[in-house]
Amino acid sequence: MNGIIAAARAYLAVSLRERVTLFWFLIFPVFLFVILALIFSSTGKQGKMNFKIAVVNEEKATVAGPDFAAIVVHTFDSLSTAPSGQEPLFTLLRPHPGETTAAFRARADAALNRERITAVVVIPPGFNGAMVARLRASYATPTPIKVIVNNSSEASRVAAGIIAGVISGIDREVLIRAGQYVPSDETKPVTEWTGKNKHAVSYASFLLPGVILMAFFTSGLFGVPGTILYSRDRHILQRYFVTPFTPLRYLLGFSIGQLGLCLLQFALLYVIGRFWLGAQVNFGRPGAILFLVLGFFTFLAFGFLVAALAKTGDGGMAIGNLLNIPLIFLGGLFFPVGNLPLALKVVVFANPVTYIAAGLRMSLGLGGEGMPLVASIAVPIAWIGICSLIAARRISWGVQ
Amino acid sequence: MQPDRGTADLVGGTVMSALITLIRTEAVRFARDKQALILMFIFPLVFIIIFGFLMKGSSTPRLGVVVAGSAAPTVQAVLAPMSDLHVIDYPNRSALIHAVEKGQADFGLYLDGDVLHFVYNPTQVQNNPQFMQIAAGITTQYNLARQRVTPIVRAEKVVVGKNPGGWLNLVVPGIIAFSILTAGLTGISGHLTMMKERRLLDRFVATPMRPTMLLVAIGAVRAVMAYIASLITLITAIGLLHLHFAVNWWQFTVFVLAATVGSMALGTIIALFVRRPASAGNIANILAMVMMFFSGVYFPVELMPGYLRTLAMFLPLTYMVNGMQVVTGVSAMGAARFWTITAALFGTGAILFPVLAHYVVQPERR
Amino acid sequence: MGYYHDMADINGTLLQVSELTKHYGDIRAVDGISFSVPRGTVFTILGPNGAGKTTTLEILEGLRPPDSGTIEIFGKRVRRVDRRVKERIGVLLQEANFEPYLKVHETIELFAAFFAHAYATRDIMALVSLTEKRNALVKNLSGGQRQRLALGVALVNDPDLLFLDEPTTGLDPQARHNIWSIVTGLKERDKTIVLTTHYMEEAEALSDYVCIMDHGKIIAADTPRALAARLGKETMIEFTADQVPAAARNSLSGRFPQLRQDGGTITLEVADLVPALQHLLGWAAENGITLDNLVIRQPNLEDVFLTLTGRRLRE
Repeated sequence: MNGIIAAARAYLAVSLRERVTLFWFLIFPVFLFVILALIFSSTGKQGKMNFKIAVVNEEKATVAGPDFAAIVVHTFDSLSTAPSGQEPLFTLLRPHPGETTAAFRARADAALNRERITAVVVIPPGFNGAMVARLRASYATPTPIKVIVNNSSEASRVAAGIIAGVISGIDREVLIRAGQYVPSDETKPVTEWTGKNKHAVSYASFLLPGVILMAFFTSGLFGVPGTILYSRDRHILQRYFVTPFTPLRYLLGFSIGQLGLCLLQFALLYVIGRFWLGAQVNFGRPGAILFLVLGFFTFLAFGFLVAALAKTGDGGMAIGNLLNIPLIFLGGLFFPVGNLPLALKVVVFANPVTYIAAGLRMSLGLGGEGMPLVASIAVPIAWIGICSLIAARRISWGVQ
Repeated sequence: MQPDRGTADLVGGTVMSALITLIRTEAVRFARDKQALILMFIFPLVFIIIFGFLMKGSSTPRLGVVVAGSAAPTVQAVLAPMSDLHVIDYPNRSALIHAVEKGQADFGLYLDGDVLHFVYNPTQVQNNPQFMQIAAGITTQYNLARQRVTPIVRAEKVVVGKNPGGWLNLVVPGIIAFSILTAGLTGISGHLTMMKERRLLDRFVATPMRPTMLLVAIGAVRAVMAYIASLITLITAIGLLHLHFAVNWWQFTVFVLAATVGSMALGTIIALFVRRPASAGNIANILAMVMMFFSGVYFPVELMPGYLRTLAMFLPLTYMVNGMQVVTGVSAMGAARFWTITAALFGTGAILFPVLAHYVVQPERR
Repeated sequence: MGYYHDMADINGTLLQVSELTKHYGDIRAVDGISFSVPRGTVFTILGPNGAGKTTTLEILEGLRPPDSGTIEIFGKRVRRVDRRVKERIGVLLQEANFEPYLKVHETIELFAAFFAHAYATRDIMALVSLTEKRNALVKNLSGGQRQRLALGVALVNDPDLLFLDEPTTGLDPQARHNIWSIVTGLKERDKTIVLTTHYMEEAEALSDYVCIMDHGKIIAADTPRALAARLGKETMIEFTADQVPAAARNSLSGRFPQLRQDGGTITLEVADLVPALQHLLGWAAENGITLDNLVIRQPNLEDVFLTLTGRRLRE
């Protein structure tokens, strides 16, 4: 028993000391978690996004009457300032002093083409007149404001939607002022959420289980064969086995060490998720614990399988590298894997990660409903069985 | 006169033939280096295939609707002209919720009296903001229609640009740029440190060859391989994912070479500071990985928070991705800017190579 | 001292091996060897690379099962070395490494945990002079320090029987002498040691018994002195000379049939020293040959090995 605990402690100490394993098993998952959360939590949120646009007013405001064009310009202008600490929604490209409207339009179009700005809003000539006419005769078609966007830029696509929202806000305001629209008669839409929790999930909450499983998976896939194979290559294992210590005990000690590593990964990611990124996930549910434990054993066994298939440590790492990306991304840890061609679907369904991820998400009320509960337990168990069998037959411990 | 000319010939001949021998040796070594081959040829394909199909799946948003009751005609009138929305009808609320839950529809809409209910799947975190924006648009129009008002002013979207294909068309050049970076970084740093460790570099320095020659040979082979790998990746993307690229072949060639040389210069910097090939490979991997997240390979830089956008400005990969999007014809850039980036990448290599070569091979640096 | 003195080893023999064989395919790595190791002695297996020394030790350490033959260890006959035996042996493997990212004291503690009884870590570190390096990572140790650690680990369970497989290979002379002095100290503490080496000096400096192994077989076994005495009362004369003409060499080997030439070094086995020297000096003067590095010495194990196999140890 002493030996098993000592081996577990040694494995853990080595994993934390070796800079490479430390990076890939602890730092990288945290990095990935924080980065994805920072990138995606802000997507689509006002105050955290900023779009460079140009508003070109081609209406010559000489005609008497209300200057609707100026109202539009003013609206966008007001959205280009924001309270301190927040980003304004828009940054406006402005005409140079003395620049003609045509020259400014040309400059704006060129900037859009080169993706220096994300959109050009053009108030066409005759805008004011058209508005007045439209207000008098409600059957006339709405007056267009051109929103020019560039399809080479994702930001441009997002900006188009936001600008359309701003313009429809202006529309509503004008209609109310004109007495044609009664705001009190508006119906407010109701937002509903599917799933057990019936509420929105923050990106950090959604991501946390995926990142945790990824951490378990990579440490199983690389840590297990890496340690076993390199120790065998360097004759470290043989040194153990000339003592009363046996391969079975080594395996036990090693697995306990790996469990310690996974607990550390879990704790680190959970604390960062909970207290920094605001993730709210209750891993205390029995289902969640079941799938975390199942995940640990499945990926541990998977690591043993790689150790059995590879002849050397380098070979093990190569196999790991080939499997890592496909299994993580085709396991639905980060992206939904619904619409894939058959060949990739096969990978999805053969992949143990798919089942663990779906099971964990399901038990946390974070999706994964597409997978029958029986499958998400049975398939990983089958994997554990197959891997253990192959590993037991094929892993050489450097002892005959 | 005769002996002079003879010597000159001899020297010239020696340098050229030695360089050719070096290049040949390097090519053979590369062809036998499984890891380098996987990194350069297989990885980009794996990425293209996986991400290609993952991203292709979610193009036009799918709205599931249950239209019944007195307000139904109004809703139908609002939805009918919405061309960039795929509307799926469901018989009742529970069928709709089931569909949204299982991902058969991206989000849902049903009527309770004349109140609109929008149903979202909380696990679609990445896409829900977009769906909510669409929902807001539907709500506005629905309210106008209920009061029998048509909008007085509307946004008329005009799309310009070179990329009707969407985000995936931008990701493919991004992945090519990223592969060039990784191959350059890991290749050079790993190779040089390996030579250091096995004392091959010492053996090399003991010959009259200039160290730059070695780097030139490594660089030449890598550049050709990177070019071939980029072509394969591009062709796979076109063939498998049915994407369209208007490639400017001459700019493509120049840019791939410049990017390779630039990445290798960065790799040489790693080789300067690291002793063991394994550490060099790891540092290169980590650097590449960090750059990947912030350089717009998978996530548009413009949609990131301000400080990450600032960070992106300092990463060479950002410019490599942009440039690659330009030469594959899915994005535009001013000619001056494009050539500045190309020259900067090429120049970094051209300047750093000889300088670093000098330091890398010095015994006391090791 | 030891924890147990229930020595079932009657007759003072700690280890007895009979007709041990191990084949790898067609190669007979160990080909029916028998020997016995008395308690409190250093028993050296001497032989060139590939002689079967390491395979023999690996069988005795429990890393490989023998194909046939018997092992009697601590008075018990075993088919293969089991855990109970392993509790009482200490091993220094030829190629063994330790986890590079463990510290010295952690490595010793780890191995101590594998045994039912073990020394305190600080005693082991003191024994192999690694106390100052207790917090150093294994990867940062020098070759000699690493080998001392290996020796310390081999001693952690206070073994009755120690297997040291080429303990000084690749070490510089000073590190080698460090190891030798530790081994000598162990011998004084009544430990039994089975040692393999291809260094003749090492075998001579440390061994009570030497067995010479070649091609999987034991070709001679005795005390170093007795082995050397097999060459009779001969004395060795050794010198180096460049360019000995064939005729001159032939005339010399006519007088000394036991002449051996190894590069520029010529060795003569002589029974009667004075007349032999006189003859040699005359021969040198006659043929105009300078005798460099002339040495007169007693026969050593190298000479024995050469005589028995016709080859040098380190070929």
